[in-house]
Amino acid sequence: MAARPVTSPTTRRIPSPQPTRPAPCCEPVTDGPVGEVDPARHDARVALVGNPNVGKSTLFNAVTGARQHVGNWPGKTVHVATGTWRLGDRAVEVVDLPGTYSLLPQSPDEELTRDLLVDRGLAGRPDLAVVVVDASNLARNLYLLAQVLEAGVPVVVALTMVDVAAGRGIDVDAEALGRAVGVPVVPVVPRQRRGCGELAAEVAHALSHAAAHGRADAAAHGVDLGQPVEAVVADLGVLIAATPAVAERFPARWLALELLTEGPGAAHLADLAGTEAIHAAVPVARRRLIEAAPGDEPALPGDDLFDDDAETVVAERRYAWVHGVVAASVRRAGEDIVTWSDRIDRVLTSRLLGLPVFLLVMWGVFEATTRVAAPLQSGLQSLLDGPVGSGVGWLLTRVGIGTDGWVGGLVLNGLVAGVGQLLTFVPLMAIMFVLLALLEDSGYMARAAFVVDRFMRLIGLPGRAFLPLIVGFGCNVPAIAGTRILSDTRQRLLTSLLVPYVTCSARLTVYVLLANVFFGSSAGTAVFAMYVLSIALIILIGLGLRRTLFRGHTREPLVLELPAYRRPTARVVGLQTWQKLAGFLKTAGGIIVLTVTAVWLLSSIPVRGGAGTPGHTPVEQSLFGATARTIAPAFAPAGYGDWHASAALMTGFVAKEAVVATFAQTYSAAEPSDVHRAGQLGPQLVATFTHTSGGHTAVAVLAFMVFLLAYTPCMATVAAQRAEIGTRWTLVGMGIQLAVAWLLSVLVFQVGSLLW
Amino acid sequence: MDLRDCRPADRARLNRIEGDRQQRRRLMELGFVPGQILRVLGRGATGGLLLAVGDARIAVDVETCRALRVDLIRAAA
Repeated sequence: MAARPVTSPTTRRIPSPQPTRPAPCCEPVTDGPVGEVDPARHDARVALVGNPNVGKSTLFNAVTGARQHVGNWPGKTVHVATGTWRLGDRAVEVVDLPGTYSLLPQSPDEELTRDLLVDRGLAGRPDLAVVVVDASNLARNLYLLAQVLEAGVPVVVALTMVDVAAGRGIDVDAEALGRAVGVPVVPVVPRQRRGCGELAAEVAHALSHAAAHGRADAAAHGVDLGQPVEAVVADLGVLIAATPAVAERFPARWLALELLTEGPGAAHLADLAGTEAIHAAVPVARRRLIEAAPGDEPALPGDDLFDDDAETVVAERRYAWVHGVVAASVRRAGEDIVTWSDRIDRVLTSRLLGLPVFLLVMWGVFEATTRVAAPLQSGLQSLLDGPVGSGVGWLLTRVGIGTDGWVGGLVLNGLVAGVGQLLTFVPLMAIMFVLLALLEDSGYMARAAFVVDRFMRLIGLPGRAFLPLIVGFGCNVPAIAGTRILSDTRQRLLTSLLVPYVTCSARLTVYVLLANVFFGSSAGTAVFAMYVLSIALIILIGLGLRRTLFRGHTREPLVLELPAYRRPTARVVGLQTWQKLAGFLKTAGGIIVLTVTAVWLLSSIPVRGGAGTPGHTPVEQSLFGATARTIAPAFAPAGYGDWHASAALMTGFVAKEAVVATFAQTYSAAEPSDVHRAGQLGPQLVATFTHTSGGHTAVAVLAFMVFLLAYTPCMATVAAQRAEIGTRWTLVGMGIQLAVAWLLSVLVFQVGSLLW
Repeated sequence: MDLRDCRPADRARLNRIEGDRQQRRRLMELGFVPGQILRVLGRGATGGLLLAVGDARIAVDVETCRALRVDLIRAAA
């Protein structure tokens, strides 16, 4: 195969980099959510491919409007967003593939991107790839483009951040870039929806061109990697083309390079027949490549030091192509540009201020999810308990069902109460997601990961794991979802198992109530101790897991791209918040409503004292009370073997928010509206704990608080864990939580009651 | 020398990447290829370095610095 010219003039109409008018393509298309990615609904599929932080998802949102679906790719745990993109008179499906730096995958997300692009045997393969290229970081982005061009899918480049680059004195000429890379290049500003119309026209044109000329696989041209590589690739390509089972499934050029560099995709060959000749040829070809490479026009100084690795040779040749393209299309104002983003970094990541700033930001997140969220949550709660509850009650009476029967009770105390509980999560989750989006969109998140990396390493986790753990102090549910920022599956699993030990804000309300009742002026100290214990548990259980279930795990070194700081936009933050919130309501909704209904049913079914009407059965005489009574003796060694306490722990399994309410219910006391003042609940709690602990009241309460800290946080967390790490690991995690909670609680009481 | 010997404001040329294949691959796709000029922009609170690799800004920890063999081109004043 001869070296191809890299400047084939296929570039068509290129709009000016700064169109002044919003493009007409970006109106939202009515498109209801779908269950899974459905290949049959559109006449073509377009995939968005790009590095992380290049504005890919923003572009996706701009071209699809808000109507989109986020879900697992069929058969995978990789989350992919799909939507409809209107290209003039036709609608295509657009898939936002996970961000990746190369087509040499190191995570399941990257693997999906790679497979969809190269594997013709895979359902859902895109008809065209829009490669999103960041103009302010052109070289690195072109490296991925170089690989995508080998995949045999028609490509259109969307050039983002042209303005950011210009602000740094880097002038990217889109037209020249298009000529140099050999595919259409369209500048876009997704945040302002500029250039979307031109991009849509270009994509439509490329799609019809591909349809008219057959799939562009045959023309999978790749980039010119220079002579020794091209000759070796061509020879191997001939062998691949002569093996139908292989040639039908993979682009020959891509596979040849993958085999030469021992890339992870070479493993695909194992499933296919008649590959012996190819396998036999690879080592010879690789030797040829390595031996020939250094002598041939070294792309970069230092080439010759690397003589033992075909992968390095190919990577260097790709970068040589990249540098050629950059030279042809970019004008720079200066050599070493110091951006204002660099200046901010001098402060925010510095030795002196990095950590204090980080702690300040985390304190802000924490305050917002506790102090700011609390009044919103209680306001919503009283709205639901008051007007909404009585409204539904009135309606039920009006239609003749009433509120006393099973049906009315089920609606009012199951459905309405369950939905109500779900809705009180909304302000908290909304605040949390806004903060996450702000941190992410501004670029600070990456800095924070860098600043705390070393400390997180002490507990065997990478710096990025700080985020789910910190978020967990607000609520464990988004924290579990946040483990997705970890690229390593085992790290993700380990972090997911540790998140439940992070004491969340729901647990805080119970601590505050109990501490105020039992510890008076030392209440603050008792609550603080719970936070210290929580951190200790995360560290110790993390160490324990790494010594047992996660033995032999190699650490992932920190290599982290820091995107330039930028001002977060309301649109991006709003959309991200809404998407995550909707996702949360969908996942957690069913489980929470079902469990609330189940608890109501348990507490309504009488087992003693004759048949009461549902909802009027005293808790003590209900199935719920009987169950609590049955398990109460298990807590006797911890000093609180009483059914009031075990009933509270039972509902605490559903949601920690329900613990205080259950105490109130079991004592037939009014639920305190302010946990700082327990009202009539206080003396009854004191009486119970004093009785069960044989006088060591304070120690028993501490033991109870410790159990509350360490056992399963809530059903919503369990649901989130199941979605992330599967049923088996979720159950393993729950087993560990219950064991740790019980043992620790018993230890606290047994040792504590000796001392006090 | 490796990157651990560099200080903020130093410029260095990357010679070779050591370490396992996985790590080399990750570094190469981020722009760390032999011959690339690395500028040290700053040092983090825990000893890692903040680098300019072309137009990208990349944070690396001490262990990664050890794997990056470089030649110093221009030392900080």
